[in-house]
Amino acid sequence: MSFFNALIPAFNGASAEGEAIPTRRPQYHVTETDAAYSLTVNLPGVAKEGLEVTDEGGELRITGKRALTLPENAAVLHRESSDAAFELVLTHDNTIDSEKIGAELKDGVLRLTLAKAESAKPRKISIG
Amino acid sequence: MCKSRVIMRFIKYNNPDVASVAPSARLGGRFARTDIENEIDWLFGAALNGIAGSELGGQFPVDLYEDKDNSYVRAELPGVTRDAISVEIVDGSLSIQASRKDKTGEVENTVSFNRLVSIPDDVQADKVSAAYENGILTVTLPRTEKSKPKKISVSVN
Repeated sequence: MSFFNALIPAFNGASAEGEAIPTRRPQYHVTETDAAYSLTVNLPGVAKEGLEVTDEGGELRITGKRALTLPENAAVLHRESSDAAFELVLTHDNTIDSEKIGAELKDGVLRLTLAKAESAKPRKISIG
Repeated sequence: MCKSRVIMRFIKYNNPDVASVAPSARLGGRFARTDIENEIDWLFGAALNGIAGSELGGQFPVDLYEDKDNSYVRAELPGVTRDAISVEIVDGSLSIQASRKDKTGEVENTVSFNRLVSIPDDVQADKVSAAYENGILTVTLPRTEKSKPKKISVSVN
């Protein structure tokens, strides 16, 4: 089976741990200033408890589990939203300071402030 | 948890033909639909109406569900200003309007959202309530007593 798994990654689906759960990419946008990048991610239905932000090996990963509940015995008549968790993985070249990541989650919107590492900040070189 | 009550406003519209009644999602229609059918409808609806790309405003995803006492309309509106959420009953439809302020540097843009959802006739318009939490607006529409299913006992002789 490992041959098939290697050949067709989808074969692996159910058996691979954690990979079987479908996730979707949230809407996001990034802006930049001299000192930091700021990342805004729309995560409707995600509470603080369901949010996870990690920065490891140049990979910033944001996962948000949706905490939507229906009243007991409720019947769904029409559905446009999804229960799938949000997952956003952004790679960076380690020019951000992992120690200085500021995060704020408010009304289903996550705002991350990613301070640039000292080496990545613009420097003025004085000419002598 | 900050579960603030949204102040309800019931203002009669002078201009009824604002925005069309988007997907013909009628709460009253009780069809046994499968998940896959809903999923496909959503995909097409999203592609056609730009639901998925609510970044620029306009449509946003809405869920409709009910239990024995209430009907519920749940809308995904991340990051909107509470004061700017307006929920109204207009001619038997529920109108949801909201706006969000996007600040990019010095420039501030206001993105507005609106949607009209058909609701059952037996909703008590004066008892509608709404709550906004984690970017999700939930509108609770209580139904009138008489429309709740009643148990009728028939004696058989």
